[in-house]
Amino acid sequence: MGIFKNITEISRMKSPWLLHFDCGSCNGCDIEVLACLTPVYDVERFGIIHVGNPKHADLLLVTGTVNHRNKKVLVNLHQQMPEPKIVVAIGACGLSGGIFREAYNVVGGVDQVIPVHVYVPGCPPKPEAIIDGVVLALKEFEAKNEKYGQGARGKRREANKEQEKS
Amino acid sequence: METLTAILILLPFGSAFLCYLVPIPTLRNIFILVSGGLLMVSAFLLIPYCPFTFTPDTLLGFNLHALLKVGDFLLPLIFLYFGFKHKSFLVKIFSLLQLILIFLIDFFLLPKEPTGPVFYADNLSLLMILIISVIGSLITFQAIPYMKNHEEHLLQGPSRQPGFFFVMLLFLGAMNGLVLSNDLLVLYFFFEVTTLCSFLLIRHDRTEVAVHNAVRALWMNSLGGVALALALALILNEFHSTDMQRIILLPPAVGYYLVALALIAVAAFVKSAQFPFQSWLLGAMVAPTPVSALLHSSTMVKIGVYLILRFTPALQNTFLGQCVALLGCFSFLSAAALAVGQSNGKKVLAYSTISNLGLIFACAGINTPEAFTAGVLLILFHALIKAQLFLCVGTIEQHIASRDIEDMRGLYAKMPLTALITVFGVIMMLMPPFGLLLSKWMTIEAAAKNIYLIILLATGSALTVMYWARWAGTLMSDPFAGRFKPERQPLLTWTALGSLAIGAGGLSLAVPWIYQWLFLADMIRGYSPPYQTYNGILENGYGIFPVFPLSLIAILGFLVSIWFLKGTAKARIAPSYLGGLETGESGVFRGPMNQLIPAEARNYYLSHIFSETRLTGWINLGAGILLTLLLGGAL
Amino acid sequence: MIYKTALLIGALITAPFLGGLLMGLDRILTARLQSRIGPPLLQPFYDLIKLLRKEKMVVNVWQAFCVNCYVAAASISVGLFILGSDLLLILFIQAVGAIFLVVGALTSTSPYSQVGAHRELLQILSYEPLLILAIIGIYLETGSFKIEAVLDWEQPLLMRLPFLFLVTGYALLVKLRKSPVDLSTSHHAHQELVKGLTTDYSGPYLALIELGHWYEVVLFLGFCSLFWATSWIGMLIVALGLFLAEILVDNTTARLTWRWMLGSTWGLGLTLSLINLIWLFLRR
Repeated sequence: MGIFKNITEISRMKSPWLLHFDCGSCNGCDIEVLACLTPVYDVERFGIIHVGNPKHADLLLVTGTVNHRNKKVLVNLHQQMPEPKIVVAIGACGLSGGIFREAYNVVGGVDQVIPVHVYVPGCPPKPEAIIDGVVLALKEFEAKNEKYGQGARGKRREANKEQEKS
Repeated sequence: METLTAILILLPFGSAFLCYLVPIPTLRNIFILVSGGLLMVSAFLLIPYCPFTFTPDTLLGFNLHALLKVGDFLLPLIFLYFGFKHKSFLVKIFSLLQLILIFLIDFFLLPKEPTGPVFYADNLSLLMILIISVIGSLITFQAIPYMKNHEEHLLQGPSRQPGFFFVMLLFLGAMNGLVLSNDLLVLYFFFEVTTLCSFLLIRHDRTEVAVHNAVRALWMNSLGGVALALALALILNEFHSTDMQRIILLPPAVGYYLVALALIAVAAFVKSAQFPFQSWLLGAMVAPTPVSALLHSSTMVKIGVYLILRFTPALQNTFLGQCVALLGCFSFLSAAALAVGQSNGKKVLAYSTISNLGLIFACAGINTPEAFTAGVLLILFHALIKAQLFLCVGTIEQHIASRDIEDMRGLYAKMPLTALITVFGVIMMLMPPFGLLLSKWMTIEAAAKNIYLIILLATGSALTVMYWARWAGTLMSDPFAGRFKPERQPLLTWTALGSLAIGAGGLSLAVPWIYQWLFLADMIRGYSPPYQTYNGILENGYGIFPVFPLSLIAILGFLVSIWFLKGTAKARIAPSYLGGLETGESGVFRGPMNQLIPAEARNYYLSHIFSETRLTGWINLGAGILLTLLLGGAL
Repeated sequence: MIYKTALLIGALITAPFLGGLLMGLDRILTARLQSRIGPPLLQPFYDLIKLLRKEKMVVNVWQAFCVNCYVAAASISVGLFILGSDLLLILFIQAVGAIFLVVGALTSTSPYSQVGAHRELLQILSYEPLLILAIIGIYLETGSFKIEAVLDWEQPLLMRLPFLFLVTGYALLVKLRKSPVDLSTSHHAHQELVKGLTTDYSGPYLALIELGHWYEVVLFLGFCSLFWATSWIGMLIVALGLFLAEILVDNTTARLTWRWMLGSTWGLGLTLSLINLIWLFLRR
């Protein structure tokens, strides 16, 4: 069993597929996120694939402030990702709402709506910082794996119950 | 044996009259069930007697030939009556032509002495009898609850059910007579009876459209009748004989015999609704669904392919045979193309019928032992599966009041068992190791030497995949959490649907044995068995199809997949992906102003390429040219 | 009998490894062509294992059923191939898998998934006639549909079937969903379809689709290698050469519409096949 667990963990570390959600950012952070895919940074070296669909994703990268309109979308996307999953908030706006935090329609940072595991500050953060954040997230991911591995069934049951309630 | 033959042909006639005369519905249902059961039993009991010939001298005390003469005159007269009643010029012309030809045949050409046995049965006829008796009876069984429901919805005035079941049963009797008869004049008589029956059945609802389409079916089929009568006259003129078994073994080079064969082929094309005669079959959809099931599966359209398979020994190495093959392949491709453009479920089924019958014609035209085997197997499996699918669509239509594929989206949630049976039918239509695909495999391998045929077959079969696959997927769409609870339906409906589905599936498994039985000791005349069978594997010099092993693997795979389904019971059921805007309800997203909007996606019908309006004209033109080629080549 | 069983089991086990390695090679080469370094060779396996160990989540339980049938059909066709069975039969069986994949995608109500499924149907419509005709060409040359007989044939088929080989290569492009005909779903960062056919598959079910795809890659490369069946090295060179060519085309073209795909496969593909078939026919 040990070997299997080990292989699983290695595989998870080496294959984080990420979903990038622009939660109303000024596109500064988004351009930096996309820059990671270019030949200069080439995140595919680490097995990172930029997917367009939450059902395929392991990591959720959120940029921009959360407002009352798009928070439902954010929650939906997060819910549609299969366990185990990790959320990375990027940029000042994603962290706290940034300069928009006092605006009437703004809820605040991403963590007001869904649990966030890694915060990458900056306005916008450099691609290196984003990659660094993803690597940090992977460590978090590993820890979460163990939790998911132990109580996978229980967790699923909980998730189902939650769904029934909603 | 005499009794069994009598039961198969006369019993349906008898109980048809009983159904018509007895006004009590319960009693009528009992008649139908009993005669259906008797038909099935006697068809199976007939197996050990095969092959046999049989000549009855009298029928209930009357001279058989005298009766036939009366019948042969009576039927065109009835057509003429309907021609005047519905003011159809074409029906009048064709029935008059038939009258003239029959007059010629009866008074000038017919030899005084009977020339051969009246009835003859080999394994091909026996297979046809089994198909007609079993599938036909099952369809009439299902018609009992269907027609009750049908009349509750549509009827004003007195019940028309006695007339309906009268014709249905008559049809079965006539079909049995047709496939058993060896005397061409007898065959012609039954041929005309089926034309009349189909006319009456299509007309059943008496709406304007129904009458219009029924009249069209009548004139087209009497055109077929004219062709057959003319062929009969030519054959009599040449050989002074009506003995079919003797005639088909004659070399086709003699005199006008080739023309007669070409005319018989035309009659077969008409009955089997090949292009350009397809419109009567498409129009027949207006009838209640059991009628469509009957016309499309076990009766009517099978007459044409039966006739042409019967005459294959005469077609060997003729230009006519090549023309038949080409026309068949052409029908296969063009009907498949037209089916792709259709969203009407019944029309898809109708085009697929034309397509598959085209394949059988192709087999008859290619005319190697392999192709012949494929043709016979295609008749069997097409009848089973098409009956099943039509009955399914009928049942679905009575529930959701639509026959459009788009409206069947998510049908599994409403009628799970019917949806499953339909999907199973679709799967049997296009996947190995089921019988229909096995026969298609045989056909393609047999046609491989002819480049033109093979191109038509290759493209046609790809189009076939397209229209079936999207239907199956549409039926199963919508969220489904894994609890299976069959809906309520009358017992007779379940009997018919279930036994057809199980029959088609089970017989697919048994193809090697069916094949052995068909070709046991060279019983089908003129063909030596083309395949070796061992361990349920069919093999010849250049191809191999492990039917039984593959079926076993398929069953195993099915069970594993079901076991997998159990595993998913614990899985989270998530809403389908709608760009993050999904709501609690499936397939509904939150649009502007917080409104709930259902997400819609329709199937691709590619109507700018494959629509009827665009293609039918060209296809009819092409088929017309091929038909001219066929007739011209024979002259 | 024992030899055959061992061969069968061996093929069923090694085929996905081979397929996975080929996919890894594909990704590295693609990265190099874009002047990137790219993931390690074993990346597809990491992806597969990760997906297998994720949470089970479905829209409709039939998805699970269909995916299972897809993998089963793909592996059975590889098995039949290695046993030297009938080529036409193998093509039909792998079509079963392709159809189940489409049906599975259609069971979801998501328009992304539906559009992907219909595009996949169009892809099937495009490549299937071409593959049937290629098989017919092989039959006309060798006189048999059985792979055993093709392997026994003394002369390389490529000499007699050059156009059909080209056509097969093109059909393979469509089958493997490579650019310019990666319409129903694709490997790389084309996202306007949110991955089409596979939109509503996730976790282990997505992994199974990937596994089935590996089987199919091996099957079709095996089929192409039959065009030089006289020596093992010839087979290897033909298959690998074709695979590299596919990657090159994939990276140097942009996606085109399905109309173009259907037009080019049916127009050009069928014409080339016909020419080759007529040529074979006249030579006989």
